[in-house]
Amino acid sequence: MPTPTLSVDRIARVKGRSLPMELLTPELSLERECLDPDMSSPGLALAGFVDRFPTGRMQVLGQTEMTFLEGLDPEVARDRLRILFSQDFPAAFVTKGQEVPEALLEEARARGIPVFVTPLSTKDFYRRMKPFLEVELAPNTSVHGSLADVYGVGLLFMGKSGIGKSECVLDLVERGHRLVADDLVMVSQRGNDVLIGTGHRLQKHHMEIRGVGIIDVPALFGVRAIRQQKRIEVVVQLDEWSEDGSYTRTGLDADTMEILGVELPRVTIPLNPGKNITVISEVVAMNHLLKYSGVDSAAAFDRKLKGAMLPVGEYLEEDYE
Amino acid sequence: MNETPVQERRVRIANRMGMHARPAAAFVKLAGRFKSEIVLARDGLEVNGKSIMGVLMLAAEQGAELTIRGEGPDSEEALEALGDLVEDGFGEAGEEP
Repeated sequence: MPTPTLSVDRIARVKGRSLPMELLTPELSLERECLDPDMSSPGLALAGFVDRFPTGRMQVLGQTEMTFLEGLDPEVARDRLRILFSQDFPAAFVTKGQEVPEALLEEARARGIPVFVTPLSTKDFYRRMKPFLEVELAPNTSVHGSLADVYGVGLLFMGKSGIGKSECVLDLVERGHRLVADDLVMVSQRGNDVLIGTGHRLQKHHMEIRGVGIIDVPALFGVRAIRQQKRIEVVVQLDEWSEDGSYTRTGLDADTMEILGVELPRVTIPLNPGKNITVISEVVAMNHLLKYSGVDSAAAFDRKLKGAMLPVGEYLEEDYE
Repeated sequence: MNETPVQERRVRIANRMGMHARPAAAFVKLAGRFKSEIVLARDGLEVNGKSIMGVLMLAAEQGAELTIRGEGPDSEEALEALGDLVEDGFGEAGEEP
């Protein structure tokens, strides 16, 4: 997958709806790309130091920066602004609705860098812009599979086309669980090890059931049957049954699968006719919840068994108690 | 067994209506006849060529350029048949409205 990019145009269009901002340079193109989910304030650049200037990162001019500029000799201020705007960054934001000097706009225009002003304080601007940048620039990919919320656990069903992923999810929906996306799941990474799955924007919770065709799940089952996004927590791999398949019999050894560098627990379920994968899926979800609450059924059972095999009988034989 | 040739073919959507439900169904049906894994890609979005919902999500309009990738024993035949299907406009009209 290509590395995600975010144009200034998209920031203005999407974030401009909820976050007050005014474009001061409407004649400039907004096609510049923001490459960094961080933002910074160009204090040092205004002091003339640009050796380690972060490329592709939005620059926020708060009261500190603007007061500093005002205090400079106009010639020097002009020079510093020229230095700042010769750096490569997507856009500049002036906060707190401060007056923007013409010199700043002229230097910005000369380099084609758009300038916005927002009435928000620098702190509020950072707080409200940052999550958007992080989501938009998060590493992402798409996987062929179906994602459902089962008892609050995000199960990602994977397996060959036609193996029955959609049918399994449909069965789960019928039992009161929720569909996130069928067939194609868009995955985006949040923080270090959280993967959020969602459907493609065109899909709108439709799914294909072989022999029936394309169905609209919320129209058939209501809003409670769907969810917009869900953390992916367990991969359920559906495999055709094979005699030599090495399926786990104890559940003691954890299998994993990697998506975007994040390791997810994986359960492989062999399919044969008449097998109820819906109930098995519910058990997979509940077992996951149980593990997170500190109970590992397989390990606990094994411990009890080992205890039973220890030679306590001998100790009790002549009753030393 | 360990030799799985990967084939790629770039095609352009020819029919006026683009890859809507019927053409997509024709594509996945044909793809399903081959043993090879079929991936269809457009602008970085990759979908399984044997699943109709995936193929529809590409929203490939007339003129859109797609990459068909086949991996498996019969990938060469698969790409030939699938590429021709797309370029023939799925048997639909191709001229401008």
